[in-house]
Amino acid sequence: MRRKKIQWAPYMLLLPSLIYLAVFFAWPMVRALQLSVTGGGAELLTLYEEPGEESEVVALVPIQTEAPIVEIGTVEEELASGRTRDQYWYKLETIDKDGNEVTGWAPFFLLSLDAGRRDSTQARVVAGDTTESALTTSHIERMINDAKFMESIRTTLLLIIVILPLQFILAIVMALLLQSQLRGSTIFLYIYAIPLGVSDLAAGLIWLSIFQQSGYLNTVLEGLGILDDPYIFIQRDNRFTWVLFAVVLAEVWRATSIVMVIIVSGLQAIPSSLVEAGEVFGANLWQRLRYIILPLLMPSIQVALILRTILAFQVFAVLIAIAGSRSVATVMARETFYWYDPVGYGNPNVAAAYSGLIMILSLGIALIYLRTITTQEEKSRRVKT
Amino acid sequence: MTSTTLPQERTAEKVYQLSPEARIALRNRRIRRGCAYALAIAIAIWILMPMWLIATLAFSPGEDVLSYPRKFAPIPFSTDTMEFFLVDVQGTWEATVNSVIVAVMTLIMSTIIATPAGYAISRYVFRGRDAVRLGVLAVRAFPIVILAIPLATNFIRWGIHDTVYGVALMHTALALPTTILVISSVFASVPYEFEEAAKVFGASPLQAFFRVILPLVLPGIAAAAIFTFVMSWNEVFAASILTSSDARTLPAEILNGLTAGSSARFKFAGGFFMLVPSLIFIFLIRRYLFNMWGQITK
Repeated sequence: MRRKKIQWAPYMLLLPSLIYLAVFFAWPMVRALQLSVTGGGAELLTLYEEPGEESEVVALVPIQTEAPIVEIGTVEEELASGRTRDQYWYKLETIDKDGNEVTGWAPFFLLSLDAGRRDSTQARVVAGDTTESALTTSHIERMINDAKFMESIRTTLLLIIVILPLQFILAIVMALLLQSQLRGSTIFLYIYAIPLGVSDLAAGLIWLSIFQQSGYLNTVLEGLGILDDPYIFIQRDNRFTWVLFAVVLAEVWRATSIVMVIIVSGLQAIPSSLVEAGEVFGANLWQRLRYIILPLLMPSIQVALILRTILAFQVFAVLIAIAGSRSVATVMARETFYWYDPVGYGNPNVAAAYSGLIMILSLGIALIYLRTITTQEEKSRRVKT
Repeated sequence: MTSTTLPQERTAEKVYQLSPEARIALRNRRIRRGCAYALAIAIAIWILMPMWLIATLAFSPGEDVLSYPRKFAPIPFSTDTMEFFLVDVQGTWEATVNSVIVAVMTLIMSTIIATPAGYAISRYVFRGRDAVRLGVLAVRAFPIVILAIPLATNFIRWGIHDTVYGVALMHTALALPTTILVISSVFASVPYEFEEAAKVFGASPLQAFFRVILPLVLPGIAAAAIFTFVMSWNEVFAASILTSSDARTLPAEILNGLTAGSSARFKFAGGFFMLVPSLIFIFLIRRYLFNMWGQITK
């Protein structure tokens, strides 16, 4: 409407956001996929022009190469105590990975010297300091062959299948209650919305206080006379079902609010005349819900489903909070975390492979939702016409 | 049309002489209303009860946190457990400060970057507008967990691994799509005519924006900023991966404590402390919730 010539203003206003998302979103995404398929090549030794790692790189040499030593030098190395020490460097005459004849310097600790003497004339390259950046499937294979791999996928999907229906039923009930003009509905809205701001870590700790052996659930059950002794619901190496049960409750407790808010805004968009018309024609509550409200809510439900599924793939702190870091039950996000964690396996490449898998699975499921829900709508439209 | 012109007296009469069917209908209505209240209250208890329980633990003396059976109210009331968590446990206070710094940096950066974009999307008709909207939505739909790993390897190279800046950069990327959408919806709720009127009276576009539009949209933008703060405060996966000791945020510190096998007092005081901002901030922004999340369905 206000377009006469090309307007540059909106593009200029969008530019900072687009640049930011390109640098910190699009590019890392590509990098993650790249990390998961590269860097698994052969180990290589770097040869330098002068002794010391500051000088120019001359060549990369494959390990296990035998090479004569042509010169010996030292580099001053600073120790943690602040004192300095001489580090021996050797100049090798050898053939690099591409078959060229090269000479260059390498430090003693990557070489095995003939007879182990400092002044020997022959050395063998025993270790590399870099890897060839070749395409490889080794990280993906390592991920798939890991004992926890299938289990983490199974548990993640199981949690999604159990949690999502519960959340949607509860969220629709909450939304209908908020829309039914009860007195004090603003207070109910606030209470129902509080979990929106609760992290999965806090939710996990809260439900730990309930399911712990000395927790509230045992206190109540014993108080009611159902149990004689506190029952151990959560344990490090078994009680898988109870761990999952606690995680399901914590997630339903925490993450139903977001579904509720999306559904309430969907409900607000439904013209009240339609629901009233149903009432006039004698439809009861269930019929109004089934034939009027739910079909009109479908777009909101679809959005909430996609959002919840993607978020469900990322949950891991709730599990660690409830079951501890060594629990038997594991989910994909947790495996990603431990593969990256320097205290864990410390392998960013396998972690990247996991994160790529999470991306493929969650987007795949989102696409399935989009397809099935739209085709259902189309079907019902076709029936009507 | 005929139904609206019904004489008033006839409807009034009906109220006085309720037929038996109408009386039953009225009674059923009351019962249904009662059930709705009961259900609404039950759900409210389901949400509040766990928070009450952890608050009870957080404000009980240390020996009560370990005792069994559990008490259901913090009697005797004590701040020992919270003090233990915040003062005695090494690192938690520093982590709290880090968390606040990261969250404030995130909300400043994301608001500054997102406000022009939100304004552009809501005010201009331009080629590629739908593509931009859709693109922003798509970014929201990507699993964000996967960004942390490649960013961490790069942050190490750039020298900002284990700094609050690194975590804030990552959190800004997480918050930006939502912030853009929310801010564009806030701008859309202010009629363009206001801006035009200001220009008619001689204001420059910038003056019109700062004098007329900004005061009107400020509460909405503040709500978006608060939500960004809460998101950053809560975020644990990326914060744990992008830090190793100095810049650990509170969730990362607590997660690390859990992995290292921490005490019950640490866990429950930490769980409660993590909860506090959400209680306050959701209350502050409750009027804007649908404005924020309703957007993504449109």
